[in-house]
Amino acid sequence: CTKDFEEINTNTNDPVAVQPSLLLRQVIYDFGEQMSYEGFTAGNLLGQYSTALDFNLFDRHDLKSPQLGGNPWPIFYQNLRDNEIILNLSQENTAYTVYEGPARIMKAYMAAGLTDLFGDVPYSEAFKGDTETVTPVYDSQESIYMDEGGIFDNLDKGIAALESYTGTIALEGDILFNGDLDGWIRFANSLKIKYLMRVSNKIDIASQLQAIATDGNFIDENSENAIFNFTDGEPNSFRLAQLRVGDFNNYVLSETMDEILTSLNDPRISRMYKPFANSTDDGYNGLLNGIDASAGVSLADYSLLGTIFRENTGLLDANFMTSMETNFLLAEAAQKGLITADTEMLYNTGVTQAFDYWQVDLPADYLTVDAALDDGNPLENIITQKWIANSINGYEGWVEYRRTGFPQLKTISASLNNNLIPIRMPYPSEEEALNSVNYTNASNNTEGNSINVPVWWDE
Amino acid sequence: QETITGIVTDTDGNTIPYVNILLSGTVTGSTTNENGFYTINVPNLSGEIEFSVLGFENQVVSINNRRTINITLNDSSEVLDEVVLTALGLKRETKELGYVVQSLDAKGVTEVKSVNFLDNLSGKLAGVTINQGATGVGSSSKITIRGEASFSNNNPLFIVDGVPINNNSVFNFTNEAAAGFQAIDFGNGAMDVNPDDIAEVSVLKGPSAAALYGTRASNGVIIIETKSGKNTKGLGVSYNTSFFVDSAFQLPDFQNEYGQGNAGEFAFVDGLGGGTNDLITYSWGPRLDVGNLIPQYDSPVTLADGTIVRGGDTALYNGNAITPTEFKSNPDNLKNFYETGTTLINNIAISNGFEKGNYRLSFTDLRSESIIPGVNLDRQTVSARLNFQPIDKLRINSSISYINSNSDNRPSNGYGSENANYSLVAWGPRSLNIENLKNYWQPDLEGIQQYSYNYTFFDNPYFILNENTNSFNRDRVFGNISASYDITAHITASIRTGMDYSSELRQLKRANSSNRFSNGAYAEHDVFYREVNTDFLLNYSNQFNDFKVDISLGGNRLDQKAFTSQAQTTSLAQPGIFRLSNAASPIEVFEFESNKRINSFYGLAKFGYKDYLFLDVTGRNDWSSALATPFSVDNTSFFYPSVSSSFILSEVVDLPKAISFAKLRASWAQVGNDTNPYQTTGAFVAQTPFNGQPTFSNSNTIANANLQPELTSSFEVGADVRLFGDQVRFDVSYYNALTKDQIISLPIGISSGYTQQVVNGGEVRSKGVEIILGISPVISQNLKWNSTLNFSTNKSTVESLPQDEGRLTLAYSRIYDSQNQTVFLQAEEGGRVGDLYGTGYLKNENGDFILTDEGRYIPDNELQKLGNYNPDFMLGFNNQFNYKNWNMGFLFDWRQGGIIVSRTRALGNVGGQLAETAFRPEGGIVPEGVVNTGTTDNPVYAQNTVAVSAESYYRQFYDRNHEENNTYDASFLKLRQLSVGYTFDNLSLFNQDATLSLSLIGKNLFAITENPHFDPEQLAVQGQGFISGVEDMSYATTRSIGFKAGFNF
Repeated sequence: CTKDFEEINTNTNDPVAVQPSLLLRQVIYDFGEQMSYEGFTAGNLLGQYSTALDFNLFDRHDLKSPQLGGNPWPIFYQNLRDNEIILNLSQENTAYTVYEGPARIMKAYMAAGLTDLFGDVPYSEAFKGDTETVTPVYDSQESIYMDEGGIFDNLDKGIAALESYTGTIALEGDILFNGDLDGWIRFANSLKIKYLMRVSNKIDIASQLQAIATDGNFIDENSENAIFNFTDGEPNSFRLAQLRVGDFNNYVLSETMDEILTSLNDPRISRMYKPFANSTDDGYNGLLNGIDASAGVSLADYSLLGTIFRENTGLLDANFMTSMETNFLLAEAAQKGLITADTEMLYNTGVTQAFDYWQVDLPADYLTVDAALDDGNPLENIITQKWIANSINGYEGWVEYRRTGFPQLKTISASLNNNLIPIRMPYPSEEEALNSVNYTNASNNTEGNSINVPVWWDE
Repeated sequence: QETITGIVTDTDGNTIPYVNILLSGTVTGSTTNENGFYTINVPNLSGEIEFSVLGFENQVVSINNRRTINITLNDSSEVLDEVVLTALGLKRETKELGYVVQSLDAKGVTEVKSVNFLDNLSGKLAGVTINQGATGVGSSSKITIRGEASFSNNNPLFIVDGVPINNNSVFNFTNEAAAGFQAIDFGNGAMDVNPDDIAEVSVLKGPSAAALYGTRASNGVIIIETKSGKNTKGLGVSYNTSFFVDSAFQLPDFQNEYGQGNAGEFAFVDGLGGGTNDLITYSWGPRLDVGNLIPQYDSPVTLADGTIVRGGDTALYNGNAITPTEFKSNPDNLKNFYETGTTLINNIAISNGFEKGNYRLSFTDLRSESIIPGVNLDRQTVSARLNFQPIDKLRINSSISYINSNSDNRPSNGYGSENANYSLVAWGPRSLNIENLKNYWQPDLEGIQQYSYNYTFFDNPYFILNENTNSFNRDRVFGNISASYDITAHITASIRTGMDYSSELRQLKRANSSNRFSNGAYAEHDVFYREVNTDFLLNYSNQFNDFKVDISLGGNRLDQKAFTSQAQTTSLAQPGIFRLSNAASPIEVFEFESNKRINSFYGLAKFGYKDYLFLDVTGRNDWSSALATPFSVDNTSFFYPSVSSSFILSEVVDLPKAISFAKLRASWAQVGNDTNPYQTTGAFVAQTPFNGQPTFSNSNTIANANLQPELTSSFEVGADVRLFGDQVRFDVSYYNALTKDQIISLPIGISSGYTQQVVNGGEVRSKGVEIILGISPVISQNLKWNSTLNFSTNKSTVESLPQDEGRLTLAYSRIYDSQNQTVFLQAEEGGRVGDLYGTGYLKNENGDFILTDEGRYIPDNELQKLGNYNPDFMLGFNNQFNYKNWNMGFLFDWRQGGIIVSRTRALGNVGGQLAETAFRPEGGIVPEGVVNTGTTDNPVYAQNTVAVSAESYYRQFYDRNHEENNTYDASFLKLRQLSVGYTFDNLSLFNQDATLSLSLIGKNLFAITENPHFDPEQLAVQGQGFISGVEDMSYATTRSIGFKAGFNF
């Protein structure tokens, strides 16, 4: 009576096993696509690049009520899961050894993005629900960064695996570097620079950072960036090109960004934003973040986002790590005396690359007059330039604001968070419901999942 | 030679068909026809005629020189030899049954016909709940019997002439985000059943009755017997026609004081934010009907050459000054939007009986035009029923129906711009004159650019319904052929094979300039289903003195194959050409195939003692492929037994004379339940390709290789008591069922890397009472009044969950993919199935809203129980009056209790469209609530005195992120059916007796309900399923008035 049952109940729709290249392409594309969308719809609100006119409880800092974007938690865990499968395959099957390095680097990259937003998160027991627990314990941010199996450990082991790889089987599915293993090593070193700076308030990182800086094997040119290009047409266009125009028109230039770009006479404003409709002289106007939508504001008085985010997304990149960001980080380190290097040269290189990245000509006097390093607080200038360059790069601008205090963000107009700027993302309510014991501990460590409690590196 | 004619009636005045008539002492005989008429040829006008028929006392009448003899037969004492259909197509006398079976005859089903067969059952059967879909004619209806006892599957099984047919609703592939195609309801499988072909519908409500149909019968069985030609002598022809006119039943109650805008201001420029508050279409704008002149989308624009275009013709003439026009209310705009719907159903059937068999052939044509513009449903049904007895011992039966159903457009469901209600109700500003949207293309841009009142989020509703259509064409065949052979006088062997096959093509077209598809889109969705059931049955029956024994042994093989494939492009090269070859973006394909086989052996033993004690014992073993893995067939076998008994008290004990009949019954049964295919192994799923290169991601569900079948154990007791010679018929049932080891996809935190895990677990206890009360208050020769009350109450309580704590999410209804804008159907230990959860605003211990110093509500993001969608009880009250040739019937349907969460209420009030928001005082509104004047730890609450603007107040109070303020009591009392008719008998056509019956009929004529905006019978669609208890931007349901004519000869 059970004849052929095995065959009948074999799923013919989907494979039970796949090659790691199919997963690697998925992890990179999905994470990059989703975090760019998050960057536009949520990261840019927290970082005060732009603001939402309506449906904007998130922009008013009720971070538990996002409308579009604003819920990055599952993006991290789903991709960490697929990435872990690549890592396991690379260790189980010698034909897949070449995937170990990229998988470790992606694991470090996504883990850092996760913990930087939320603080302590499930990590060591996480994303292995099929073989281990479905209720993973929360690990401290410090251990996620510093311990074996953590961010730095994976970057080091990833680099080592790439350097020691002698096989001839090529890395496939790599939409960042097209299989160039050296590209991955540079990417990993740039990430080490970034994360060393991230924890630099807690840990003495000077000698490690100096070593990497001296070695010089990091992303130093835009051509070496860890990015992939969106296209103009579906399905690989930027998501805002696929959504309804009303969703796009709901976002306008923020007053914070407006003031910064205007004071710098920064022509990138014309790439990132449009003149407002009621302007008679192609002027730009920003709106203070977090308005009470029922007050009624006129869109025609504010600048919409630029065509690169909707009509011409073929010009836009999903940004994992860039030379400009690396140079700004090194400039900060040099400025703080953590490494010995020429701050101004690093800064100027970063700015020049950032204009190039955004496909805007650098004005001749920009680096000498409008945005000269020594005009004002050099540290603020470095971080502010990095902030501008990192528009839609996930939540990066807001994360670095929390670490450095730059650029100075504004008190929003109708705050739902007692006029405080949030300094972490809240755990999603599904964790409370579905991983409640572990969540309760984590919640107790954050004053009841408060968005006003600093993460470890920000303490 | 003389001819005697006459009519045979019962004491109620009903004619009695098929009465045997015999001239005493001879073999000369005849029978009455379907209408109780008879003719008999006798040698002379003397002697006696005998009348006999089952269920009535025999009568002998002297002819006495009469040529017309009308007689009335008395009901026999064996009145309860009613025959019902039970499992395996066996007809059994109800008195033998240890469980309740409720039946409807053809008239009960078809007196007032509905397009969807299920709607014909509403209110007529105790314990059966029907809910209609939200998108007009052609929508699915959802049926549940005795409430919901399973976390995952509560669908009853449908059987037509002994063979299962599918009742699936297969949706298109969708995207939860505010992009792509929205879900479309193409109807449920059982809606294809043609009411005109139905002889009888029986409902087996509990698993006791259903054990022999196998695992799918755990939620009850709807057994349909189609009409056959048996008992006809000579050719019979019947023709009937029904015609309905439909109108919108309940429309939202709007405010008509304020028009489009925000903060009291509005001016249209481009409908994209270029004007004053013309980005979004709130009605928080200026006052209406006070002479305000405002540029609007339909205001004229005079071009330099003198041509006049409309303000909304922005593609060609943007930037030209719009001449302001009067800002006026449009109180009837939605009423005028809906059209008059019509439904015309024609059926013709011929039947014939002859020596060795009989047949019936029927053709039905249904054409329905919805009240929603452009929405329709056509259905043609050809059916044949053949019964042959070529030799005495062999019977061959066959029943086959072919159905073609199709529609030019099935409207999209749910919240979003593909649903016309999104732009008509939630976001249709009150200054909008919908009439002016009918010309929905911008000049010279036909097929390229729509004309609308706004271009940010919304599509012109006429554009949606006329251009962005979702058509389907479905061919379906179901039927069976069977043969049974009497091996001996006591042993019969039968075999039967039946199939349900359907093949459907759907085409989803989206024109250029659609909000979600600016370059148009096209999708082809193929849906294929085939199920084959093959049975054999051996039956032995015999009588030993007072004992009757009947034993059956059988086997069944079920083979099921489902395939669905949607190929789509989200950008067209040439506008208006809807072909995949016209794709301007890579074609995406979503496919799913599933296969399943269940093998079964079963046995049934029936014992009867002296016609007053009956006992049934059944047992069945199933082997289901869905429980196998690709490597093992362990755990695929499961056995379930049942036992039931009936005791006719009135045959044994001397009861008071008033009690004409009393029966007690009891049963206990188990039913096992398997699951869908492929739950036992994990898989990788293809994702969006990058630059044409494939990507795969692991499934988010953790499979379970060790699945066990679910098990429902049910206990039922009941009594059937009849009083005063059956003038009062009282039937009561109590049941108590426990479903355990449920197979569920348990939600788990994505931090585990997965969102769901397939597990066994959880226990649900269902208890309920059903009462069927039949009363015939008036019986006289001319006037007869029959009345039936169907009462039922059910409570399904969660006794345990598969996890240690917390709640289990069974389903949800969500706006886009927003976790916050979600109504959750969750189960909690001690809670009930049907509990809905959502969020609200912070309250103190007294239940007062706690407000901020600025008079604002404070979101409370913790999920709270909003209520349960199941009614506390249901009561159907069905009445039939007959006076001479007149008849009248009406049906009241009362459902008491339960809640419904309303998206129309949330969005319509946030948008300032509904009547609730008409009160807008200048000084603002002081929200009801308290403010904390103490500290967090020692709160002191004082009444709030701070006012906020009316707009701000309503937008917060009804905010869609918080469902608590957007629920209604779903109770209703409806006049579901009304009919008045007259029958002309004694007609003659081609020398044959003929009858013509005419009736006026009405459906959903009136309702009492709490909410002013919509019919509370609602279903929402989410993912691939229905969600009860949520109204999600539904279309108006319909009130129907029409007539029916039937002609028989």
